[in-house]
Amino acid sequence: MIEIEDLHKHFGRVRALDGVSLTVGKGDVVCLIGPSGSGKSTLLRCVNFLEEPTAGVVRVDGRRVGYREGDGRRRHMSGRELARMRAEIGMVFQLFYLWPHRIALENVIEGLVTVKRMPVAEAAERGRALLAKVGLADKLEAYPEHLSGGQRQRVAIARALVMEPKVMLFDEPTSALDPELVGEVLAVMERVASEGMTMLVATHEMGFAKKVAHRVVFMDQGKIVEVGPPEALFARPQHDRTRRFLDKILV
Amino acid sequence: MALDFSVVWKYLPILLQAAVMTVVLTAISQTIGTVCAFFLALARMSRRPWLRWPAGVYVWIVRGTPLLLHLFFVYYAAPAVGITLDAFPAAIIAMSASSAAYNAEIIRAGLEAVHRGQVEAALSVGMTYAQVVRRIVVPQAIRIIVPSYMGNAISHTKNSSLASVITVQELMLTAQMIYSSTYRAVEILTAAGAIYLVLTTCLTWLQFYLEQVTTYEARGLSARRRRRLLLDAPLPGLAA
Repeated sequence: MIEIEDLHKHFGRVRALDGVSLTVGKGDVVCLIGPSGSGKSTLLRCVNFLEEPTAGVVRVDGRRVGYREGDGRRRHMSGRELARMRAEIGMVFQLFYLWPHRIALENVIEGLVTVKRMPVAEAAERGRALLAKVGLADKLEAYPEHLSGGQRQRVAIARALVMEPKVMLFDEPTSALDPELVGEVLAVMERVASEGMTMLVATHEMGFAKKVAHRVVFMDQGKIVEVGPPEALFARPQHDRTRRFLDKILV
Repeated sequence: MALDFSVVWKYLPILLQAAVMTVVLTAISQTIGTVCAFFLALARMSRRPWLRWPAGVYVWIVRGTPLLLHLFFVYYAAPAVGITLDAFPAAIIAMSASSAAYNAEIIRAGLEAVHRGQVEAALSVGMTYAQVVRRIVVPQAIRIIVPSYMGNAISHTKNSSLASVITVQELMLTAQMIYSSTYRAVEILTAAGAIYLVLTTCLTWLQFYLEQVTTYEARGLSARRRRRLLLDAPLPGLAA
């Protein structure tokens, strides 16, 4: 579902991504772990073209992201084409980025109404159902500022899910949450995974990775150091850098 | 010399007529200025240097020099390029140019105050940039822009008095003409002051009203919005 081939991203002299290749199959849950600055966020942001790669190819469901295929030269997609592709790629951000001038329900259905041009009534039905599913049936009318961090993130997840994307990208979804709120968000993510969603998750929550991920990818300084099933990677890391990182993280 | 306000009643119609000129002068130049300010703000925010730099220089010069100078400049410079300009059009041009510069910065600040993350979240959901601006950025920017914009509008109203120096028949010039023939400066100026105060107070009320209307959380949802969102309909039965 997601194919990343030899991806490079430079910010000036900083090499955020230094030749990353990864494949995420349909229904796979892949967790990206690694220290700050290792390139996890940058990688996710290249998948939906919030960052434009310096070199390399990203494909989602066979289609190249951000560029038109053909005749050798790289040509940008139009704004509309890119928007249409992005509608099939859901993203959840570390800082939620809910829209403060809309209530929870409106946040969730904004995409349906504006992008998919769905009638508001139909969108509202879907939005309500999804918010109930993430446990926020009683918070439909709440403005984001009246919600806890965990609630906001669940609204953000519902907002991404309601668009029925092919893949979901999670950029450290629980890193900004108080510890007691992390669990409710991870529970929602587990449920999404169990329903067969293809997920690429940058996270520090090793318990989640162990429980839900099919594969864990350890990144450091813009490169993939090691990939493997969680039990194997956590118990028997092959590389020294992986071991040193895990020693600091795993209790 | 005792004060005699009967002069005011006698000349009130003339003063009010001049007040209309003040309002017209302010309203037209503020409208033109706002429209131009919008484009100027976009130019200032543009990634293209050939848009950004000229806009920046314009704002810098106009905001850095007195309106009085602009008025004289337009009025006296026009013949130099071969256009004969009446006082009123000259004042409109100068005041519009000034309004545009100040409001451009106000608009730009409002637009940039909307966090980039919200824009990214909107793009991620599949909105085009135009949709993001319309649905996400502008509604929030307006809330930030209103107080500064209205404050500037009030200043603009008072600054219209400067047009008197290039012979526009607005309130200040008319008041001067009246008391130069009646020698009742205190009374006439008090009356003129009162009229300015009425105008600015109306704008202040308008500002309060707009600030209220653009505050989303405190006011709750309108009945129509509730209905559209089916907020009062029973939740369909769902497995937990």
